[in-house]
Amino acid sequence: MNPNSNESRCTSCHAGYGWKDDSFDFSRLENIDCLVCHDTTGKYTKTPTGAGMPDPDIDLAQIARNVGPTSRETCGSCHFSGGGGDHVKHANMGSELNDPCRTCDIHMGGYDFTCTECHRTTNHKIPGKSSSVAATEGTTQCIDCHTKEPHYGNDLLDHHLNEHCDHIACNTCHSPLYARSHPTKIWWDWSEAGDTDRPVQKGPHGQPLYHWKKGVFGWTQNAKPSYAWSNGYTQRTLAGDTVDLEGKIVDPDASQKEKKQGDYVHLASPVGDKTDPDSKITPFKVMRGVQPADPETSLLLLPHLFPYGQEDTTAYWKNLDWQKAFEEGMQASGLPYSGDYVWVRTDMYWRMEHEVLPKEGALKCTQCHSALQGEKTCDRCHRPARAADFTDLMQGGERMQSAEDSGWDPKHLEKKSDFLNFKDLGYEGDPIIHGGRFKRLPLSFE
Amino acid sequence: MKVRLHPPDIFLEGPKKRKTAVFLCFILGITASSMTTAPAAPGPEVRTEQEQARVHAAQRYPFIAEVEREDPVLRKLRLHRMGLDSGDITHEYFLLSSPVVNADTDTYQPVRFMHSKHASALNDNCAACHHYRPADKEQSETVACRACHKEQSHPQAPSRVGLKSAYHQKCMGCHKDMNQGPTGCQGCHRKNPPDHTNLVSLPEDPQPREVTQACLGCHEDEARDFVTTAHWLWKGPASYTVNRQHQEIGKANITLNNF
Repeated sequence: MNPNSNESRCTSCHAGYGWKDDSFDFSRLENIDCLVCHDTTGKYTKTPTGAGMPDPDIDLAQIARNVGPTSRETCGSCHFSGGGGDHVKHANMGSELNDPCRTCDIHMGGYDFTCTECHRTTNHKIPGKSSSVAATEGTTQCIDCHTKEPHYGNDLLDHHLNEHCDHIACNTCHSPLYARSHPTKIWWDWSEAGDTDRPVQKGPHGQPLYHWKKGVFGWTQNAKPSYAWSNGYTQRTLAGDTVDLEGKIVDPDASQKEKKQGDYVHLASPVGDKTDPDSKITPFKVMRGVQPADPETSLLLLPHLFPYGQEDTTAYWKNLDWQKAFEEGMQASGLPYSGDYVWVRTDMYWRMEHEVLPKEGALKCTQCHSALQGEKTCDRCHRPARAADFTDLMQGGERMQSAEDSGWDPKHLEKKSDFLNFKDLGYEGDPIIHGGRFKRLPLSFE
Repeated sequence: MKVRLHPPDIFLEGPKKRKTAVFLCFILGITASSMTTAPAAPGPEVRTEQEQARVHAAQRYPFIAEVEREDPVLRKLRLHRMGLDSGDITHEYFLLSSPVVNADTDTYQPVRFMHSKHASALNDNCAACHHYRPADKEQSETVACRACHKEQSHPQAPSRVGLKSAYHQKCMGCHKDMNQGPTGCQGCHRKNPPDHTNLVSLPEDPQPREVTQACLGCHEDEARDFVTTAHWLWKGPASYTVNRQHQEIGKANITLNNF
C-alpha cells in the first residue's frame, strides 16, 4: 500500500503541516513542524487524521518554549508505531524503547542512548537505511563504533567470534529473537476486509486479529528470525513495476491456512549470496500478506482508503467498494487500472537492527552448531587442557524457566540448535564438519 | 508502565575462567565482581551501565599533588611487564561529567567514554593515557584523570593542565595522531541547547505555523537544510536499492508495502 490518495491519514507522521494532497507546498518553510521532533515535554501530539496538524487542544506555546534535542520519544512517536500501531511494522522497535531496561536494548537501556547517538545527524540529514523505504541519507552500522574485530578479549573464544564477523551480521547473534516485549505483525490479509459485523477479536496480548477496514492480522512474539545472505542492498518491487502473478493469486474465500501456501510476490528482499564475500548471514522479520493486484497490467494496486472528506464516494474505509478505491488510488498515483483485480500473496523482508541484547544474551555456539553439542572441551581442534569453559557454551536453549517467569513464551526455542539452518543458507551442513564458505577446514571430521 | 524483560536462562552468563572476559567491545559495563560469578536474573533493582556511570561520575576524588614522572617509553614497558591490561579494568564505561569541566560553559553534554574499548584499541597500553603515577606508592598505578587534573591553575599545582584541557588535549590529540576517532565537538558530545523559555516570542494561543515562524527567526538555515531531507520530502536517494541507485524514491512516490 502507499500514501498516495491517503495523505491526510498517513502524513500524521510527516514533519510538516497540511500535506493533505498533491498541492502541498514543500518549499514553504512555515509548513515545517519543528515541534514534533524537538518537543521535550512529551505533550506534543498530532491528530491522527489531520494531515500532520497538531492536536488542537495542546499548549503549543508551552511546548515551543521547551524545545530541545530529539529523543527516543520524539523519533519513536512515528518510528515505533508505523503500520498503524505500536510495534506493528518493526521486528524490534516499539514503545518499550521509550523507557527500556538493559535487556530490551543494551544501547538504549543500558547506556541510555538516544537515536541520534548512532544515527549521527548532519544538517538534518539522518543516516540509516531500512528494508522498507528506499530513501537513505547514509548508513549507520555497528562497525561505526565497534570496529571489524569487536570481540576484544584475547582468548580463543574472542578469536573465533571475530572470525565469524566476516560472515555473520552482528544482530544474528546479538539479537537472537524479535518482538521480545510486544507482538509484531507478520501477516495481513486485505482480501477479507469489509465485514463490519465481524468481531474484532483480540489475540493473547490484546492485539486485534480482524478489522473491517483492514482484514485479517497475524502476529508473533519472541520469534526466531529468518536468516538470509545480505550485502546490505535490497531488491524492491515499487509502484508501477510489473510483477509475475503466476502461482501467487489466492482465492479470497479460502481458509487462512490455504492462503499462506504457495509462491509470494517479493516486495523487498535482501541481495546477497553465500559466494559473495560482502554478504553476511543476516536476521530478518518476514512480513507476509495478501493484497490486491491487476491481472491485466500485472501491477500491484494502490487503493484509495482514507476519505478526502464528507463528500468522498470512493474511499474504501467510507464506502467499502474496492473497485472505486482502486480506480481512484491508481489514478492518484498516475498508474493504469484495467478494472479487474485479484488478491495475491506478497512478502517483505524487514532487517532486524535494534534491541541488541547485553552480551550474555548472545546466541551460544551450540545454538547454531549442532556439531558441538555434547562436546566437553575444545580438543577436537585444539590441544587438550585449554582453559576454555566449554560448559558455558553448551548451556544454549536448555533451561527456560526464568523466561516463563517473566512472561515470555519461549517453549518453541527449548533445546534448539538450529537457529541457523545451514542447509537453507547453502551449506552442506554445519560448517564445522563440512567447511566454511571460502576456507576448507584442514582436517576432515567424521 | 515500564516494560521489564528478563533474559531466559540461555541468556545468562556462565562462570568465567578468565579474570575478565571482555567479550564485546563497547557493550560492557557489568562490574568486575559480576564477571566472575553468574549474575542473578536482572530485575528492576539492577542498575544500568548508565546509572552506574552517573554514580561514579559524582564521586569526589582527593587531589593528588605529587606525581612520579617517568619516561613514557619505560612506563609503557613497565606496565606491560606488570601484566596490567584490560582485564584489570573495573569501570568499563565512564560518563566524563565533572563540575570542574562545566564551571564556565555548559554547551555540551557529558562524554561517554568506553574505557575498555579504548584499552583494547591501544593494545592494552594503559600508559598512553595514564601517563604518570601518584608519587605515593600506596596509591594505584593508574588513577582517574580527575584525581590529578582539577581546575585550571590549581593552587597546589599551578602549572598542571586543568581537567577540561587534559581531556581535550588527550582525546583529540590522540584521535588526530592515530587518525581514528572523532576530533570535532559533536563527535563526542551531544549539544546542550540553550533554554528557550525566554527566547521564544509568540502571540497568545499561537497557530502551528506561527510557532514555526518563531523558530525561523533564528533557525532559517536549519529549515532550509531540513526541506531537502528525506524526513521532509518522504523520498531520497535509493543508494542501496539495486537497479534504482540513482533514483529518488520514497513513500512520496513509488514505495509500497504490504501494510
